[in-house]
Formats: sequence, C-alpha cells, structure tokens
Amino acid sequence: MELRKYIARRMIQIIIIFFVILTVLFLLFRLAPGDPVSMMVDPDMTQEDAEILIVQLGLDRSIGVQYFIYLKNFFVGHFGFSFHYGEPVVDIILNRLPNTILLFTTSIILSALVGVFLGKIASWHKGKKTDSVMTIGALVTHTLFLPWLALILIWVFAYKFGWFPINGMISEEVWLDPEAGFIARALDVMYHMVLPLSTLFLIHFGAYLLIMRSSMLETLKEDYILTARAKGLTEKVIRNHHAAPNAALPVVTSVGLSLAFSINGGALTETVFTWPGIGRELVSSVSQNDYPLAQACFLMIAGVVLVSNLVVDVLYAYLDPRIRY
Amino acid sequence: MSCMNAKQRKFSCRWVLIFACATMLLTGSLFVVSNAYDANILKMGLLQEPKTLNVWRASDRWSRKVVGLMYQALYVRDPKTLELIPWLAAAPPEFDEKTLCYTVKIRPAKWSDGTELTSEDVAFTGRFINEFRVPRYRSKWNFVKKIETPDKRTVKFYLKEPKAIFVSRSLTTPIVQKKEWTALAEAARKTKKPLKRLLNEKIKNPVSSGPFVLKEWRQGAFLYLEKNKHFFGTGQKIQGRLLGPYIDGVIFKIYGTSDASILSLKKGTIDMFWWGIQPGYIEDLRANPDIELFQNEKSALYYMGFNVRKAPFKDANLRRAIATLVDEDFIIKRILQGYGIRMYSIIPPGNSFWYNPNVPRYGEGLDREARIKKAFGILRDAGYTWKVPPVDNSGKVVNGEGIKLPDGKPMEKFTILTPPADYDPHRAMCGMMMQEWLRMLGIPAYSKPMAFGALLQQVKVRRDFDAFVLGYGNLSLDPDYLRNFFISTNNKKRGWNMSGYNNPHFDKIANESASAMNREKRRSLIWEMQKIIIGDVPYIPLYDPKLIEAVRKGRFKGWVQMLGGVGNIWSFCQLKPM
Repeated sequence: MELRKYIARRMIQIIIIFFVILTVLFLLFRLAPGDPVSMMVDPDMTQEDAEILIVQLGLDRSIGVQYFIYLKNFFVGHFGFSFHYGEPVVDIILNRLPNTILLFTTSIILSALVGVFLGKIASWHKGKKTDSVMTIGALVTHTLFLPWLALILIWVFAYKFGWFPINGMISEEVWLDPEAGFIARALDVMYHMVLPLSTLFLIHFGAYLLIMRSSMLETLKEDYILTARAKGLTEKVIRNHHAAPNAALPVVTSVGLSLAFSINGGALTETVFTWPGIGRELVSSVSQNDYPLAQACFLMIAGVVLVSNLVVDVLYAYLDPRIRY
Repeated sequence: MSCMNAKQRKFSCRWVLIFACATMLLTGSLFVVSNAYDANILKMGLLQEPKTLNVWRASDRWSRKVVGLMYQALYVRDPKTLELIPWLAAAPPEFDEKTLCYTVKIRPAKWSDGTELTSEDVAFTGRFINEFRVPRYRSKWNFVKKIETPDKRTVKFYLKEPKAIFVSRSLTTPIVQKKEWTALAEAARKTKKPLKRLLNEKIKNPVSSGPFVLKEWRQGAFLYLEKNKHFFGTGQKIQGRLLGPYIDGVIFKIYGTSDASILSLKKGTIDMFWWGIQPGYIEDLRANPDIELFQNEKSALYYMGFNVRKAPFKDANLRRAIATLVDEDFIIKRILQGYGIRMYSIIPPGNSFWYNPNVPRYGEGLDREARIKKAFGILRDAGYTWKVPPVDNSGKVVNGEGIKLPDGKPMEKFTILTPPADYDPHRAMCGMMMQEWLRMLGIPAYSKPMAFGALLQQVKVRRDFDAFVLGYGNLSLDPDYLRNFFISTNNKKRGWNMSGYNNPHFDKIANESASAMNREKRRSLIWEMQKIIIGDVPYIPLYDPKLIEAVRKGRFKGWVQMLGGVGNIWSFCQLKPM
C-alpha cells in the first residue's frame, strides 16, 4: 500500500517536472542565439523570401502564441514539422529511434553483463594479479576518448584488415539484392554493429566492473557471508548466490539509468560510425536551430529518464525487500 | 580455489571462442551475400544525408546534389565556356524587345514515367512558383506577366519589365511534371497555408526528366538512383558531347565525417567523395596510386565585411587602410596551404566574363613593413592621430598605440566576428591574423569566433556588429548578387546588404544592370559596380578556395572538369565503366 502511495506521489512529481521541462525547453531554444531562417537562405533568396519562410515556419507569431500552439500540439501528440526535413517530427524520431535503441541497449546490456561478471571475479581475487589486471584494464578503457578509440578501431579492423565495414548500419549490396532475405539483412546489421558495439563496450564495461567490484568488496564483509562460510557452503555458492545478488543493486541503478539515457544515443559514436540514430539527429537539429525536432528529442529523453528513475526505485524495493518507501 | 580458477578460465575461453566463431561465421556469410550483388554502379560518398527530395524545399546542398540529377532545367552551363546552352530547350531563347517576350522551343523529351515532357510542364512550373510564392524561386519568376503555350513544344514568357536575370536564373529553374504536382497543388489550395503544405510534401517517387531516377532511399544509409531509360539526352550529342548515362546508377552513401569518407575512398568502398578535400588529406591521397585528384576553381567568395553604418567603419579611408594591411597572399599560402585563389573583386576570377580584373589592388606585392607604412600614410592623411604612431620620425615601424579618429576621439575597441574553428578553421584563423595585423597599426581589433547561427543572426538580423568574416561557397554564375549585396534597398533586416553600404551612384548602375538586356552593356555596368565597391571597400575580398576532389582510378572514366568541380551533370552523363 505504501509503495502504491509512493508511486502515485512520484507520478504527480513527474508530471510537474515534465511540464517545467516542457516550458524551459521552449524558452531555451527561443532565447539561445541563432536564427533558423538565416541558416536556410542563400544569396539566391531575397529578404521577402526569408519573410515568407518565417511565416511558413510559424515564427512570425509572438512567443506567447508560439508557446500556446506548442502546448496544444504536445497534448494532442503532435510535435510539429521539422524545419529542415519538412516531415512530422514524430516520423523522424520513430525512424531513428529503433537504430539507437538497438545499438545502445545492446551495448549497455553486454557491458553490464561482462562488467558484473568480471567485477565479481576481480573482487574475489582482491589484491592479486587478476584483480590488478582487470581493474587497471577497466580504468584504462573507461577513460579512453571515444572518438579516438572509434577511429583506431575503424582504421585497424575496417581499413587495414578489412574485416568490418567502415561505417553505416547496412550495406547497399545486401539491401538492394532481391535475393537477400530477412536473415541476410539481420546479419548485415549485426555485422555493421560489431565496431560501434565494441567501441561502446570497451568504454562502458569498465564502469560496471568497478561498481560491481567495489560493491562486492563491501558485501563480502557482511555477517551473512561469514555465516554462509560457517555453514560450509562452497565458495562458488557464496559468491554467486549470496554475495553477487546483493552487490548487484548499484549496478541495477546504473544500468537502469543508462538504458534510459540510451535513447538519446551518443552523438559522437553515431557520428563517427554514421549510425543513423537519434544522437546525430539531436546534434544536427540543435546546430541548425530546428526547434520542433530538437524540442521533441529532448522531451522524449526527459520523459524516459523521469519514468526510468521511478522504475529503478520500484525495482530496488522489489530486489531488496528491506527497502520500503 | 585454484580448481575454481581453472574452471573460470575454461568458462571464459569457451565464450571467447564462441564469440570469435560467431563473428567469423557472420563475416563469411556476408561476403557470400556481397558477392551476389555486382553492378555497374557509381558509388558516391556524401558527408550528410539529403533532407528531402521535394525540389521546392531542397535548400541544403546534399538534397540539391541529388535532386539536380532528376529535375532538369531548360538551359545549363557549358563546362568549358560556362555559357548557357540549351538542355531541355532545343535552341537559345528568342527575345522580342517590343513585347518583352521570350520564346523557347523544347526538345522532344519524356518523364521517367514514360509520359511526354511538354510546354505545359514548363508553363505549369512557372505558374506554380508564382501562385504559391515558392521562396527559392519566387524572385526569379515574379516579373513574368504571363506564360503561353502555343503548341506542345513552344513556350512564350511575357515579362512585366526587362530583366537581365531571366535567362540565367529563371530559365535554369528545374522543371516539374504537371501531372505529378497538379493534384498536390489542388490539395494545398484547400489548406490555410498552401505553401507550407507543398513544402512539407514528402516526395517518395519523384518523376524525373534527368539521367537518373530514384530507385530506393534507405534513410540514414544510402540513396540509390538508377538510370532513367527515358532520359532525353541518351544518344544525343550536346555541345559535342555524346550523352549516356553509360552507368546503371548512382548510389549515394552517407558519411558523418571526412575521415570515414576518405578511408572508404582509399579502401574502394566508394568511387568518389562528393565534397572538397581538406588540405590536410591531400598529400596522403596524392601518394595513393588508386586515387586521382581533380583541382578546380569554385564560384566562391570569402571576405571581411564592415558595418559602414557607424564609426569607425563609416570612414572609407579606414577601410582602405585595413584593406592595405590585410595580406591575402599570406592567408592563401599559410592558412589555405596554397589551395586558394586571391580575390581582388567580389566576383570570383573563375567567372571570367563578369570578373573585372582592373579594380584597385590594395597592398599588392608589399611586405608587412611596407603595408604598415602605406596604411599609416592613408590614415594620417585622413586626419587620424596616434599617441605612439606606428611609424616613427626616422621611418621605422614600431607598435602603434592610442589611435584617434579624425574628430579627436579615441578609436574604441571593436570585434571581428568569425565562425568558430570547428565550423571553419580558415575563417577563424583569418580573424586572428587580421586582429594581429590591425594591432600593429594601433587599431584595437579583437577577433571573436561565435557559433555560425548566432553570427548570422548578429550580422543579418540584428545588424549589431563592427566587422565580420563570412563567405559564400557556391555563388551563382550570374552576377546579380553584386547588386543584392550592396544596393541600398537591401539595407534592412534580413537583407543582403549586411554592411549597410549606401551609394546612390552605385544604386543607379545596379538597377540599370538588372534591366540591361544587352549582355555586353550589362558587363560594362557590372564591371563599373565592381570598381565602385572595391574603391569604397565595404567588403575586403579575401580568397576563393580551390576545390580539390578525389575519385578512385580504374572503375570509371570521363569525369568532366568545370567551375565547381567534377560532380556535375556532364560527368554523370558521360562517365563510362573502364
């Protein structure tokens, strides 16, 4: 019952926060320097042409009217038309979002699984060579500059060895081939994912490893671990069934939030690998003052992050029965 | 414990092996699929994805590159002479001065859907632009009074007044199919904002009159144009060139960065990277035996502009002194690493018919010291004074300090706005150099890079600036922009006269040039306009970057070089597999 009340209270908070974000986003773009129309005109166009464009984009109206239309559109699920694509913003996001989710969610899950597994082993071998190698390795890979690592991987594995494609998500050779079926196409996407996935994995798994290691070391000091040992349980059982599940709680929080943030993709990764996702679109829409697209992208991220925070909190209570709100 | 370690290692090794095998299997299976696809297709790398295939909306250069291969105009530029030559038109236009009527005959041509391209399509395009006030084309058609189609091969355009740009700008407008756009126009008319509706129209299957037609567009990945079997030019000889296309299609692959595109080019994944190669990559590509580099001029202008509405730059003497100080040769040699052409006028030298080579040349051939002395002389004669003059009594150049305007007031600090280095390192660096050169004369200049959008807003909309460095990468070959940039009627918010230049004599000549139907007469007016502008220096032309393009050798031959590079309609119509 307490949990239900807690969820209801949090839902109200989320709605209020979301409304604030909605307003701040609108104002932020209008107040930021830059002008969408100046970016769209060239010497072939006159100032009258620019004025026509302003009217077409709805920027001739007062800020108040624009805000009202923005709110109205939001409540009917219509985010307007992109200034640059001329397409409904929703269509653009729906086109890019699955690509981002595929790459980033896979990388987070893979990084978390490997990170937790290795973190568990590192903590179990605390102070030994295995621990040192894993900890230092995790720190090194986690602190690498992502575009640099990505370019090195591209240069070595795509350009020098030619094992993987340099960029993109699909090959035209496969997708234009009428004989290529679903499996060939799915394999093609997986093939293109190898390098971006490896880059993201190398950057992120270290964080999970370090969180898990640190959490495990704390957990191993707990009395119930001593009790388990006293009961004569095997080391494997103690590690995997008694210590690891309890130590994994901070990792769950981290993974939950990372999954939420994964929908905004990574502008750098998506740009270097030309991955057609939300991250690239977000950066380009902000730099080109494409207000409707940029606003919708940020709103989507804000909404998912707010909801996932709530989900993580609830999950905590589920995973650790001692936690009650 | 040791037993467990062994088990763990065994477990880890097993997973590593499984992963490795899966990767190899995957790679192998794809090579099989890749080999299944083999065609005579040109692969082009684009830095960004086209935003739209709607010809009326296409404002980004990537969309226009692709759309340009499908929608054709009545006249195009000859690659050698840059003269306008008939393309969809059968002959040069005939002009009747009395009625202000241009008559254009059209070639027998078909749309990609097999229907005939007639004078009705041409007339529809012009009427459509005028009815819906399509922003990019409106100003090129709003002086057309009426369009008649006496027969399906003849179009008559009646002008309200003489307009010099009609042939070069209006008749180079892409022609759309009446059948395709009539229904869309009809639907748009029923809405509150018909133009918005038309601009937001998603054109999934554009009907093409060009050498290629859209086959498939996988957004975010590639865009495939296949050969248009109805292309009017196939087998025709135009300007002595036998047209194809001889290739089956063009695939545009999207790259987010130049690094990835150039690696793909070197690897052979693409045949050409359709974008200028930055100087940093050139030596590496030049050393590659599989790559061929083309060097062409661009119709571009990079310049420093002044706000002549207010002090201190309302004084032409100060602008001339600065023009003397700015070392364009240094900029080209050091900043552009030699890949640029010096600009003396606003019109690039590559546009040879309109370019006036006899304009004043400031500081040409002078070294730094001589430039400072000359600039000092100009300012001293105009009444400027210094606390510490930049040239002392013995004629030695020293660091000048405390410059005062002719009215005795100290010159206030001013900023030179430039785009940031991540947007354009050359222009950002130019700003830095100018700051240093001006300070040598005691002029308190500060270079300030700012986000490109904000810079445009500051200069074009707010008009709150002192000086700026901007550029146009793709100027039209018709010189009408010279009038637009400096005529006083364009000195308003969002107008092209960003400097606020106001010269009634210039205005008069500029207006005359706009209505001069005689080409030679128009040239003399345009030459005169260049002389006035360079004499008054509201802009200092800095450079016109050379366009370096890279293609793979061994797959296709027949690239046609022209102003603006090898990625032109002639190349696409003449490329042949090797």
